[in-house]
Amino acid sequence: MTQNRNRLINLMVGNISNSIVHKILEMAINNEEISNRYNKELTTSLEIAKSYRERINPVNPPFPSKDIMYLKKRIRNKVRAELRMRISRGYKNINLDLIEEMIKNYLKDMKIIN
Amino acid sequence: MEIVSRISRGSKMDQIYIPKNRHGFNIGSYVIIKPLEENVIAEKPYFYNVNHIEPIKLETINEIIKVIDKNCNYDNVIFTGSFVDNGFKFNDIDILLISQNKLDVEHVKDAIENKTGIKIHIIQLTNQDLMKGLSTDPLYQMMLSKCISKKRFIYNVKNEINYKVLDLHLLKSKAMNDNFGILNGSEKYYLTRNLISLFLYADGKKVSKETVDAEIKKIFNISVEKIKDNMVGNSFLRKYKEIYNKAFSKIVKSVKNDPKQE
Repeated sequence: MTQNRNRLINLMVGNISNSIVHKILEMAINNEEISNRYNKELTTSLEIAKSYRERINPVNPPFPSKDIMYLKKRIRNKVRAELRMRISRGYKNINLDLIEEMIKNYLKDMKIIN
Repeated sequence: MEIVSRISRGSKMDQIYIPKNRHGFNIGSYVIIKPLEENVIAEKPYFYNVNHIEPIKLETINEIIKVIDKNCNYDNVIFTGSFVDNGFKFNDIDILLISQNKLDVEHVKDAIENKTGIKIHIIQLTNQDLMKGLSTDPLYQMMLSKCISKKRFIYNVKNEINYKVLDLHLLKSKAMNDNFGILNGSEKYYLTRNLISLFLYADGKKVSKETVDAEIKKIFNISVEKIKDNMVGNSFLRKYKEIYNKAFSKIVKSVKNDPKQE
């Protein structure tokens, strides 16, 4: 990967992870007002991630399998770390089982995998 | 020649009387009747912690208020953000439109942008939303710590710790840890300001732009300008991570005692 591609991938990974964290936290909340704010934030992160994705080759899916493995691993680690930190502090209703499915959906949505 | 006269009520038609002894306005000539505009006294806006504003900005504010007056009914309009800071280093004008009714904000935004040629960012809020935001959200407090308002507004709210809202905002500042080498100076300053405002708020302190900037200087031992110019290194990032973790611990302290989670 070139340096610029690496930089764009890092930024995209950060925003996808942030969006997934917000999505899972939003699902753990039963307050509509706060839930809307989480939704807004996750959409913003997703839009930013998409803007980075548009500047990364290949434009059409799929990415090389080596890249896909790397992306999945980094997103998974980041999301898990963030959510586990909250669970250990007493957050409830956080479902870690959703992470894999969400990563898959996000990567599909962003035309990284078929 | 102009004559000012009043419309009188008639039995079948109303009429306007003009003196017989006059120059011009011959019998049979056509004239235009139009209302005499009343002199509108420009209302002076209220300044909150704004010691100085450039006259051209004040003119812009008055123009914007006129456009908003024409386009919607509202309770108050508040100008905030970098526009009310000294100088002209602003990208857009942040406007809070306070109204109990749902407004067509996009239409108002377009009308202002067409009139002024400046990018506008409008947020519509009800009075209740504003008060709620001020009591639970440090970013609201910081935003309204320096502003210009069409009408006087008084807020004296107590800080209410809602850890989920604060955690939501704190997550934004996490981006610094991951992307320190990539972010530019302004982005670093924005994330630092966000973090420090939450850090102060979680301590029950009132948050304003000035207090946050002073705290940044105190904690990081560096001027805000240097952060904006991206003149910060690894020691800054180490301190940042330390403060981030402290802020997180303070915010989530109340999680275990929250019965609403069940």
